[in-house]
Amino acid sequence: MSGVYLPSQFGVIFMPLAAVQVKAGDKLRVTCQYSHIGEAESVQLYASIGNEGWLGFDEILNASKTISVPEDLSWQYREAYVDISITSALSGGLYDLYAKIGGLIPKVISPTLLDVVEMIAIGDSEFGEITITEYAKV
Amino acid sequence: MAQYADIVGITAPSEAMQGSRVDITVRIKNLYSATIGIMVGGALEYGVSPWPGISFPETSANVGPGSTRSFSGYFTMPNKKVTIHAYSYYYASDGYWYFDDEMTKTVNLAQIPESEFGSIEIVSYQRR
Repeated sequence: MSGVYLPSQFGVIFMPLAAVQVKAGDKLRVTCQYSHIGEAESVQLYASIGNEGWLGFDEILNASKTISVPEDLSWQYREAYVDISITSALSGGLYDLYAKIGGLIPKVISPTLLDVVEMIAIGDSEFGEITITEYAKV
Repeated sequence: MAQYADIVGITAPSEAMQGSRVDITVRIKNLYSATIGIMVGGALEYGVSPWPGISFPETSANVGPGSTRSFSGYFTMPNKKVTIHAYSYYYASDGYWYFDDEMTKTVNLAQIPESEFGSIEIVSYQRR
């Protein structure tokens, strides 16, 4: 099961993450925490939904946006998010999620969260029956 | 050479970032054969006039013969290299403070490091 490690008064605890259900037309907001030191910089925050495999991460959907990171004289933790538009490119099932900062050569990559996005398959439009429930003079 | 209140050292970092607090310590030794009142002072030289002062929460103390007293102070690092001027004074029997010694130390301006990212984690994901 995927999860995140969070600091607590007892040290680091593992917080399991449940799968989020999505369907085409939704957006998935992926919020990331990153650490930074040094000069201010504008970078790409990138997140992707896909499948982690032996050959790496097979991306199906992704999104990115430019974030402005301020000057940090010491290591600072900051948060930012990016929204991934969910499309029918995903078929029904569970998918993995990861994020990174940077472009083709990432500056830093997150651990992959496994099976945290569940695509709900919605069938084609279909009608079962029809009944007259009322009739009146108008 | 000091007569009574000898500054034996200034402890300060060799460099500091602009805007950061710089903590310093000035050590002053009593050269007199009896306890005397010793006072510390300080100013910063970096091209502005008058020279800004250095904050010392405790500026004076009675110091025994041959003893050394440390005075802690601090200032905010300006945008260029700064020279600390530390001064010592002794309290004379006529009731006046007299300047006695001076020592200087330079604190260089530290460069902001290049941007670097240490880690990234996904902390939440929500359907919108």
